[in-house]
Amino acid sequence: MLSLRDLRVRVGEREILKGLTLDVPSGEVHAIMGPNGAGKSTLSYVLTGRPGYEVTGGAAELDGVDLLGLEANARAAQGLFLSFQYPLEIPGVPALTFIRAAMNAQRKARGEAEISAPDFLKQARVCASDLKIDFDMLKRPLNVGFSGGEKKRMEVFQMAMLSPRFMILDETDSGLDIDALRIVSDGVNALRGPGRSMLVITHYQRLLDYIRPDRVHVLADGRIAASGGPELALELEREGYDKYARAA
Amino acid sequence: MSLDEAIRLRDPSRLPSRRDEDWRWTDLRGLLRTVPEPSQRLEPGELGVGPFDGLEGEAILVANGAGPEDLRIVADESRTVILRNVSRGDGAHASRLRIEVAAGGRLTLLESHEGGGAGLSLLGIDLSLGEGASCERLVLSDLDPESVAVVELDVRLSARTRFAQTLMTTGARRQRLETRVRHPGQGAEVRLDGAYVLRDRRHADLTTSVRHEGPDGRTEQLTRGIVDDQARAVFQGRITVQEGADGADARMAHNALILSDRAEVDARPELEIYADDVACAHGATVGALDEDVLFYMRQRGLPEAEARSLLAASFLGEVLDRVEAPVPVEYLRAWLAARLDAGI
Amino acid sequence: MVAVKDTVDQVAGLEKYEHGFVTEIEQEFAPKGLNRDTVAFISAKKEEPEWMLAWRLEAFERWSAMESPDWARVSFPPIDYQDATYYAAPKTKVGPASLDEVDPELLRTYEKLGIPLREQEVLAGVAGAPRYAVDAVFDSVSVVTTFKKELAEAGVIFCSMSEAVREHPDLVRKYLGSVVPVSDNYFACLNSAVFSDGSFVYVPPGVRCPMELSTYFRINAAGSGQFERTLIIADKGAYVSYLEGCTAPMRDENQLHAAVVELVALEDAEIKYSTVQNWYPGDPETGKGGIYNFVTKRADCRGDRSRVSWTQVETGSAITWKYPSCILRGRESVGEFYSIAITNGRQQADTGTKMIHLGEGTRSRIISKGISAGRSSNTYRGLVSAHPKARGARNFTQCDSLLIGKSCSAHTVPYIEARNGACTFEHEATTTRLSEDQLFYAQQRGLPEEEAVQLLVNGFVRDVLQELPMEFAVEAQKLVAISLEGSVG
Repeated sequence: MLSLRDLRVRVGEREILKGLTLDVPSGEVHAIMGPNGAGKSTLSYVLTGRPGYEVTGGAAELDGVDLLGLEANARAAQGLFLSFQYPLEIPGVPALTFIRAAMNAQRKARGEAEISAPDFLKQARVCASDLKIDFDMLKRPLNVGFSGGEKKRMEVFQMAMLSPRFMILDETDSGLDIDALRIVSDGVNALRGPGRSMLVITHYQRLLDYIRPDRVHVLADGRIAASGGPELALELEREGYDKYARAA
Repeated sequence: MSLDEAIRLRDPSRLPSRRDEDWRWTDLRGLLRTVPEPSQRLEPGELGVGPFDGLEGEAILVANGAGPEDLRIVADESRTVILRNVSRGDGAHASRLRIEVAAGGRLTLLESHEGGGAGLSLLGIDLSLGEGASCERLVLSDLDPESVAVVELDVRLSARTRFAQTLMTTGARRQRLETRVRHPGQGAEVRLDGAYVLRDRRHADLTTSVRHEGPDGRTEQLTRGIVDDQARAVFQGRITVQEGADGADARMAHNALILSDRAEVDARPELEIYADDVACAHGATVGALDEDVLFYMRQRGLPEAEARSLLAASFLGEVLDRVEAPVPVEYLRAWLAARLDAGI
Repeated sequence: MVAVKDTVDQVAGLEKYEHGFVTEIEQEFAPKGLNRDTVAFISAKKEEPEWMLAWRLEAFERWSAMESPDWARVSFPPIDYQDATYYAAPKTKVGPASLDEVDPELLRTYEKLGIPLREQEVLAGVAGAPRYAVDAVFDSVSVVTTFKKELAEAGVIFCSMSEAVREHPDLVRKYLGSVVPVSDNYFACLNSAVFSDGSFVYVPPGVRCPMELSTYFRINAAGSGQFERTLIIADKGAYVSYLEGCTAPMRDENQLHAAVVELVALEDAEIKYSTVQNWYPGDPETGKGGIYNFVTKRADCRGDRSRVSWTQVETGSAITWKYPSCILRGRESVGEFYSIAITNGRQQADTGTKMIHLGEGTRSRIISKGISAGRSSNTYRGLVSAHPKARGARNFTQCDSLLIGKSCSAHTVPYIEARNGACTFEHEATTTRLSEDQLFYAQQRGLPEEEAVQLLVNGFVRDVLQELPMEFAVEAQKLVAISLEGSVG
């Protein structure tokens, strides 16, 4: 379970999260919706430990482990995965090389043995075929020259390979057409299960038609302004965020 | 200004200095108050092993400037030559080697620069290729931190020749690796690549000058490097296309990563064009490792040091992807990996 | 090429340099030669205070001990500095109070050049048309400055340098020579000793200058040089856009133009400085005559977040030697350089910029387009450097050269110096010839060769033209076309 208590975050002079409290129990999928500038991306970055985000108060724990004291890669080894809104290009490093290095680094951090090359390749072939990724693409430098849709698919591919227990999907639907959205969501849904949770960050309700959340939260002005069931997302779609913006 | 004369006459006023436009970032006169005494003779027993030991090829040794003066590859012969240039002690020496590859000959030149002590050394190589000949030169340089060393290569090509080189260096107190090519065009092809990994207070200067003298010549250049601590890298590349050298196609790239606040990179990629039917381009970038990329890699679980090494290795590895000799390239790869393992 | 004959005929009939006429007017000169007396003569003519004369004399002493630089890729016979006249002025009193006092012959000259000196003429234009104030410098003196009253209401000072020395001594003493020190280089030092006139601009804090300012330089007298000095200060949060234009008569001897331009941008201030340089380039066949344009232009982005952009269209002069530069001192200050340099005939140009990053988070951008034709030589020379404290400095440079014809040359000499681990420099350069495929494509669609060339060249320089104020962009585009007349073949 992910547990955030009164989390306060500052970027430079500006306070962006102003006391955010949220629980995502194990096995559940929660959606975070909110107007632009509410702090949605900040939340995903501060949880994963991107430099430049200063935590001024509060706590963030994953299954009792304090995340805030850990390096970004140590958080990843704890099973925390962020699907980036804008995945980065890594020139000169083939996707397979990258993922294998990441997988082994995580295993090492957890005191596990490295994966053998044949096992790794077998797993990669299965995941690639599930996500309709051409295997040759995995031999190319990661994300270099990939289209927006291809990059998002590579994010889900890595998610499947690394099999994290807590996933943050940051605006995963942006830049995707309907077909790509279906493939990506199918990939994400296949990873749902007991012991795995997700935080789906999105501005639009559309993605939630494909990845059905258990709970929906509205993030406005750095706090959770409202929480409810899936119907809350539909209400937001109808009525917009005005009422929360005014409240803020 | 002539380094050769400065060493022979022990005259520091003849050392190249920052006042010489082509040496503005590799000042020797300002560095050395005096020219050291001539180096002592080196006994073969003192030389240890070279980085290409274990590879098959004819061994040539230049020890404190003493060595053969001529090397000939006869027509249609194919040979691998392992040239070790070893310096010890704190003396000064200069030497010159002529290499001639006759028409249709093929030479793989595996060259290493080793030691250096606290001395000053110059090795000049004149290389000429007969029609249709080819040469690939692979250089590994690991010098002592107090040494000052210059290696100059002058290349004369003929029609339909191919000359390719890859220089790899960790620098020295001051080091210059200079390559000057007279390019006749006429289907001749040139590739001049290099990679450097500089730490502490080391310096390396990779200078090239290619003069296209006839029509239809190709030149490709890729130099990449990493500087850390208080190290300083210098890249100077000049491509000249003379009047009448139409159809010249020349491309040059230099990319450097600076890893420390006190490191320095100076670059001057130059085009000097006197013919109109040309396609010439150069690109130069200098920057730090991309912080966003580093975070992305760490988010996937890679520790920072590993992420940095991986990025650095792939960045420099692209230079090695262009090496043609299949076995020696593995030596270069291992050499590079060992230099990067020390952490980036 | 098929159209060669046509082109040659066409060109033969062209007046190649349309501004090459001489104005017949009574003028007053300093005695030929250069010594302390010449300097004192100029200072006295301008009714300058004591401190200004002392400043000039010190510059003269220093200059006497200096040597002419030889590092640029230009060649010219040694200049005999004793064989020139350092002061030439139309015989009217200094700084006429109104246009009525200006010699009508002079007014006709500016009319012919298309420079509006009568405010009502500017106003009489179409409603809403952009207006600009003009300072007209004829040889050694400013003959008239327009719109001064309206500018003064906004608090903007726009006047000749001579007037500024007399009327605003505090500002002049504070800033003159603070960007380009007296002995910065040979030609700047010479200018400091003998500068005659030029423009002075001061924009007070928070003021957005209500119109474009411009200075129009004209060398008329034979055997004289022009040594103008321009100083522009944008105080905190101020904005000003300034344009200079220049022409000279066709003469067989070379004339020296050694100007100094200093820009100072304080906190949050912005200065846009545009130049359309069309000095007489000399005879395209023999190379005889033409202006030696040896100019020092530098901006000091002194304040945080200040911004300076240089835009230049260089088509004239026998020899051009100039590097408008930015010292990026203030945090997050920005420097830009946009350049079109065209050489034809036997012109030589060695031009570019320096971006010196001193402050944290400073940014610069360089777009240079060089076009060589005829038997000319065109060099881009640039320096981008980041000092240890300039963390986060960024530069992007794009430097393209186009060759038209077999006998010209193009050179690119960039110096890149990165002195800290948190700067990002990107430099790209290309040299190509005008694409025959594109030329053919355009011709196949019905464009005559000359027009096709103009079209392609205009495409090549488009990124830079866009940086010019609208009305000058059109002018510059025409100038580009004229400069390349007769270059095809």
